[in-house]
Amino acid sequence: MAGTRYRGDLAINVLTYVVLIGLAIFCVGPVLWTLLTSFKVPSDIITANIVYLPTQFTLQNYVDLWSQSNYPTLIINSFIVTTLTVVICLFTGTIAAYAFSRFNFAGRTQLMLGYLVVRMFPAVLMIIPLFILLRNVGLLDNRLGLAIAYTSFLLPLFVWMLKGFFDAAPKELESAARIDGSTRLGAMFRIVIPIARNGLVATCVFVAIAAWNEYLFALMLTTSEGSRTWPVGLQLMVGEFNLPWGMLAAGGMISIAPVVVLFAIVQRWMVAGITAGAVKG
Amino acid sequence: MRGESQTLSSPFSPPSGWRRLNPAWFLGELSETRFWMYLLLVPSLVLIVGVVLYPTLYGVELSFQTMRLNRPANNGFAGWTQYARMWGDPVFWLSLRNTALWVTATTIIEFCLGLVAALALNRDLPGTKILSVLILVPYFLPNVVAGNIWALLLDSRLGVINDILVHLHILDGYKAWFADPNTAMGAAILVEAWHGFPFFALLLLAGVKGIPADLYKAATIDGAGRISQLRLITLPMLRTIIAAAVILRVIGLVNSPDLLLILTQGGPGRATEVLSLYAFQTAYKDFNFGYAGALSVVMFILLMIFAWGYVRLSKVNED
Repeated sequence: MAGTRYRGDLAINVLTYVVLIGLAIFCVGPVLWTLLTSFKVPSDIITANIVYLPTQFTLQNYVDLWSQSNYPTLIINSFIVTTLTVVICLFTGTIAAYAFSRFNFAGRTQLMLGYLVVRMFPAVLMIIPLFILLRNVGLLDNRLGLAIAYTSFLLPLFVWMLKGFFDAAPKELESAARIDGSTRLGAMFRIVIPIARNGLVATCVFVAIAAWNEYLFALMLTTSEGSRTWPVGLQLMVGEFNLPWGMLAAGGMISIAPVVVLFAIVQRWMVAGITAGAVKG
Repeated sequence: MRGESQTLSSPFSPPSGWRRLNPAWFLGELSETRFWMYLLLVPSLVLIVGVVLYPTLYGVELSFQTMRLNRPANNGFAGWTQYARMWGDPVFWLSLRNTALWVTATTIIEFCLGLVAALALNRDLPGTKILSVLILVPYFLPNVVAGNIWALLLDSRLGVINDILVHLHILDGYKAWFADPNTAMGAAILVEAWHGFPFFALLLLAGVKGIPADLYKAATIDGAGRISQLRLITLPMLRTIIAAAVILRVIGLVNSPDLLLILTQGGPGRATEVLSLYAFQTAYKDFNFGYAGALSVVMFILLMIFAWGYVRLSKVNED
């Protein structure tokens, strides 16, 4: 009896490993193939018979992309838009998340629900009026304008996710500080935010990744090189200039490098935040 | 705001003149008033009203207008014209059907893959921590990169997947997956499922971890096998999380045309034209903002009906 049980567990364990390794290959394999492609010379990419491992290793694709296209400008634009988005969310979202987490007031539930429901609004429906609005105030094709447009879907997300982290921070320390004569403002900045700083960092990173990756708003709301972000620029190169596969692969790898690094750093807290926010939502 | 706070007068000593000029002190005093939480909410509310609520209402208004940026002469109120036009527009009906197929197939595949991943990860075998991180990778990849990675993998001349399938004798020759109307949607669904299933894995894993182990012990004593445990314990206990995950995912899939825009742009022909993509192209290519607005309003209403019905249905099952 115990023997069959053990054998059954062993079979299940083997199956578990097979499934997980299979899924991991499914998930990472395509990325690794692209990384490999970015190191290949053109003759290894465009061949009648597929060359799996590069016959010669080259960084030429990266050099070409960086020096012959406007990729550096695109990356800088993306960096500025991302930073602006995070700063806006940080300043307006942190205090809102704190209010939702720590106070009970009339309309709290409805407001929180409202912050959730606005995430359901179709991007396409908002993009058109945003185009007109931003054009009217002179922020169309502008990095700040794009960042403001990004807050439309990232700020509600930021507030919900951060509220989860604030909820997890114990209230006792805050009460103690208040008894010692600290104002609510003082307690917020000296106690609660420092305790929840991992969550704050994770939330910021999540928003930063989303802004860095965004394509649709950027496509509609930027029209020139002055504000165009890398996803739009890269796709434009693919469509209009028939970017060679090697350079395209290199561009993809350059652009996801910051995402991978950030994700690796805060992966643990971020996963907690996404699940907490979604489960409660 | 200043005047208001003074009439509210906090329980603390009245401010002497020079201290009131110190903003930190002033904000600290303000934080003791009854209106503090509302003040905290003002900045984000202003932003959300400005960039979400107002644009959305404006968008609804646009759907009742003729608004073509490239032909401004005809702009003006149009009543239900745009909606009437939609009723007779075959592309609208086609894209509606495509949306249903795209969303249903993708969600089901993602749910199944996500459940398998969650159950496997929940066994907490040594070494699987790193695998759980690897499985999350696609979720954080930009649409542009995810789309182009798969365009490269499935390329009709250089695609490695074609090569593998030919070597395995599943295919006779290389196939242009995205150029064939019969396979374009399937290929796009595969890419989206790859991109999105980690989200399900993540949520379901959190849910599975929350199920008390006692339930499984009791079931084992009662002689329930693994399959019946899955059917009678795991899935019912996950009901709320599944409902939340499905709703969030369906909203995301219906609303964002990004991946299809990158992979196929609705082609070949209109084989992968979905509603959000049609609306976006109507605005982006034709600059017909009125019709694009009407299309997205209808999409939003259908989505709301779905969400409402789905939540009701999963609540009914609970009782």
